Amino acid sequence: MLGRIRHMIIKEFLQMRRDRHARFRLLVPPLIQMLIYGYAATFEVYHVSTVVLDLDHTQESRDLVSRFAGSGRFIVQAALSDRRQLIDTIDRGDATVALHIDAGFAELLRKGEGAPLQVILDGTNSNTALIALGYINQIATRFARDYQTDRLSRRRPALVALLPEVRLEQRPWYNPDLNSRWFFVPGVVGSLTMVVVVNLTAFAVVREREIGTLEQIMVTPLRPAELIAGKTIPFFIVGLVEAALITLVGVWWFQVPFQGSVLVLLLGTSLFLLSMLGVGLLISTLCSTQQQAFASNFFFMSPAFLLSGFAFPISSMPAFLQWLTYIDPLRYFLIILRGTFLKGVGLGVLWPQMLAMAVLGATLLTISVLRFRKSLD
Amino acid sequence: MEDAGPSVAVENLVKRFGDFTAVDHVSFAAARGEIMGFLGPNGAGKSTIIRMLCGLLRPTEGRAFVAGLDVAQEAETVRQRIGYMSQKFSLYNDLSVVENLRFFGGMYGVKGAELRQQSEWAVELAGLRGHEGGITGELSSAWKQRLALGCAVLHHPPILFLDEPTSGVDPISRRQFWELIHQMAASGVTVFVSTHYMDEAEYCHRLALIHRGRLVALGTPTELKRHALRGGLLLVECAPLGEALEVLAQAPGVLEVAVFGNALHVVVHEVAPAIDALPRLLIARGLGCTRIEAIMPSLEDIFVQQIGAQAARAEAVS
Amino acid sequence: MTWYRTVAVGRKEFIQIWRDPRSLMIALFMPIMQMALIGYGVSLDIKHIPVCAFDRESSQESQALLKRFQASEYFNVLRVVDTYRAVAEGVDAGACKLAIVIPSDFSERLRDSSGTTVQAIVDGTDDNSANVAIGYAQAVVSGYSNDVQLDWMRRQGLGQQATVPLRVESRVWFNEDLQSKAFIIPGVVALVMALIGALLSSLTIAREWERGTMEQLISTPVTASEIMVGKLLPYFLIGLVDAALCVTIAVFWFAVPFRGTLGTLLFTTTLFLAVVLGVGYIISVLTRSQLGASQIALIVTLLPTTLLGGFSFPIDQMPAAVRMITYIVYGRYYVSILKAIFLKGAGLSALAPSVLALALYAALIAVLATRAFRKTLD
Repeated sequence: MLGRIRHMIIKEFLQMRRDRHARFRLLVPPLIQMLIYGYAATFEVYHVSTVVLDLDHTQESRDLVSRFAGSGRFIVQAALSDRRQLIDTIDRGDATVALHIDAGFAELLRKGEGAPLQVILDGTNSNTALIALGYINQIATRFARDYQTDRLSRRRPALVALLPEVRLEQRPWYNPDLNSRWFFVPGVVGSLTMVVVVNLTAFAVVREREIGTLEQIMVTPLRPAELIAGKTIPFFIVGLVEAALITLVGVWWFQVPFQGSVLVLLLGTSLFLLSMLGVGLLISTLCSTQQQAFASNFFFMSPAFLLSGFAFPISSMPAFLQWLTYIDPLRYFLIILRGTFLKGVGLGVLWPQMLAMAVLGATLLTISVLRFRKSLD
Repeated sequence: MEDAGPSVAVENLVKRFGDFTAVDHVSFAAARGEIMGFLGPNGAGKSTIIRMLCGLLRPTEGRAFVAGLDVAQEAETVRQRIGYMSQKFSLYNDLSVVENLRFFGGMYGVKGAELRQQSEWAVELAGLRGHEGGITGELSSAWKQRLALGCAVLHHPPILFLDEPTSGVDPISRRQFWELIHQMAASGVTVFVSTHYMDEAEYCHRLALIHRGRLVALGTPTELKRHALRGGLLLVECAPLGEALEVLAQAPGVLEVAVFGNALHVVVHEVAPAIDALPRLLIARGLGCTRIEAIMPSLEDIFVQQIGAQAARAEAVS
Repeated sequence: MTWYRTVAVGRKEFIQIWRDPRSLMIALFMPIMQMALIGYGVSLDIKHIPVCAFDRESSQESQALLKRFQASEYFNVLRVVDTYRAVAEGVDAGACKLAIVIPSDFSERLRDSSGTTVQAIVDGTDDNSANVAIGYAQAVVSGYSNDVQLDWMRRQGLGQQATVPLRVESRVWFNEDLQSKAFIIPGVVALVMALIGALLSSLTIAREWERGTMEQLISTPVTASEIMVGKLLPYFLIGLVDAALCVTIAVFWFAVPFRGTLGTLLFTTTLFLAVVLGVGYIISVLTRSQLGASQIALIVTLLPTTLLGGFSFPIDQMPAAVRMITYIVYGRYYVSILKAIFLKGAGLSALAPSVLALALYAALIAVLATRAFRKTLD
């Protein structure tokens, strides 16, 4: 029996090597995704294109404007001369933020009557707008505080030292520079492994069914259990290798830290692969041509990916969808990935995820194996 | 008006795919209303020749004229004058009978009343009256082939190319199909048919035997049988077959020996002496011989011999 | 080019789509599924951030600050802990994304000297959520700080200056509620069009080759252009229907504002469909297997549009090299057109650059597509 399984495994590897389509589909998208998630994907706001309309032309107004320009986040494209221009600029989408300081700004400041800084934000990308607004408020607060302190020091210097203030010190853990890459790259280990393993497993069976060799094999002394083993073990190995490879690329090339234990990651990956093998096998029982398998793969994995918390937080989803994510193995694997890469936590923290994946994996495999055996008779 | 000359003329046609020569300097001509058969094993080049004549492949060398037009230059015009049944699938299996007819009618510009009339005829031809709404893929092969023929002639083409139209069809249906072809030829349509069924070859007006891209023999079935075979043909029933084959192959006056079913076909220089000598030879070697008689060669015999001759020539050259 | 042959090809293609349940499912069900999935699942609106509070002083002042966090809809103060270790465990386990640590001398420093610091420990794993959370926390603390200051100033007799010197009056245009769905959902239309190109039109020629019917087709007088137009016509109609479906769902189900005109939408969608279907067609011609065609199509149409099209990750924040690359991603132009039509009510003149880019693309693809297909077997 082991001998037959071994031969099946060898055959799978040979076929994998020769399958031109598989090579393309398993190498090109992962490469593209690694490049994009490593280099391009970010929700961070590095530079906001800004225009300024300063109708006051006082030292105070210029000081305020220069704080924006000097922040490194706001790129002042132009200093405008009337409101109409400002409206047009935002309308056309030439700038995201417009700052409008009316005449009499410094006057109001001096009188202590609350001088307004009008800000117009292009809210099309709400995430960018929100973050930009946060920065604007930060700069405005600092300006107000400095102005307040300055005025106080001129009137009642003794009191300056006593002016109360509460500051917020931000301490990002695990990712001190809040680097998007550190968020995405570990996730890519999970998403790519999912795609590769489900793909290979589903196609391996369906291809044989399509060509007709499946029938041929069943006539041999091969038992169904051996067939299943032969169709899953090779891809388990490939999945492990793939995960290891992407991890190495992430750590060495993209310089993402790895704080945790390799063994914990290995365990998590193995459990995840069990589920993925189950999914692949399940898909293969539903399709008779490779073309169908391709479309089915896409329709199964697109929600699994979108709802996993890979890019968009699960907590932002409506309740019913959050419940749905509990049956998505990738959701748990991502927690484990980010836990081992960035947080450095071990089984003590991650055991619920491991358990969940074990249960899901066992269930999926059982269902798919039963269906598969039925389809063979 | 139609050309008075040959309907189809081919001059030194060559087709190479890389290093492989699929069609090797083939020349022939067919007249109006003639049924020209291409006979040969799979991979001989029959389909390639037909495809070139339909403008689906470009000749590497040589010229082909269909309905007086040079196929290489005027492929599109040629397509309007011909009907074609491709080897694998000429019909859309997921379309109904009537949808297929309508589609091919549309392709050839057959519309309105004429399309209706032709469709009726095609449906009758295929025996599908009452089944017009049925999905084509669910029809049996015999009906499909007849329907495909009907679709191919909706536009009354003067020349028809049929690439292995009867493969996979039962013998009775095949005969009926050939009756249809004869009817068309009688009405002036030139029909080119390729087949690997030797018995169908007898139905053609003229035959072209194709082997390994070469035109091995050309003529009416009778001509081929009479002239092609050198010497006479004997049927020898004996056992065991394998040993007898070896013995007879060495025997004097024997040109060729081949197994046919559970007997041997032996080509000999002269019939009478052979009928006398061979059984004695076999018995001398301890092999039984139950029957020996002279028979008329079938086309298969001709074919096998021609192929053998060609192989011998090829060997002599190399 | 004759119309009756083109129509015949189109009619046949349509019948074949109609009879194939999987194609139908892709054509009708897929857009709804994508809209539901992305409309509900993809959101960057961060709310109810789980917070744990470590108040080392537990004074009136510190409690007042914590109350502000509790009152904010952005925060959900789940736990109040009393050891640093509990904080670490909470953040490590992911139970809280933010921890507020108030020092033990909080109120003292407020009264006696010029300032104190509150620590915001934030789970930096998801950098974007962290950024947003910090922004919100910053706002709460600043508000509290201001109030404390003004109060103090009044007590010092500086009532006259006890106002916030600078007021930020911000107005958000186009997406007043700052909801992420407003810019993500319009982009789904582009996604759906790209999928139709990738999964449907890319199969059309390859399928005939695989089934063997192509040979029969090209032996007829039909021309390459007629085949192309005839075959793409049904997919074009499907595309328009699906676009209408998506827009309807977006506006009436997800309440995304639609400020533009249907005419502009129709025109630009037509252009984009021409590009997407053309690309699918070319792929189908060059790859004679259905599997190969759909793989390549998915990678060439869907992947760039989702990742680089600008509807998930903002293009203007990408590194310069990548931004250059996005200029050849045709999905990018359609996504920006969609956002502009939905949110800004932009007309064709405002959209001119993007429309021009799409038109150029469409012309190029049309030329390539007609050249690509040859009516021969070799």
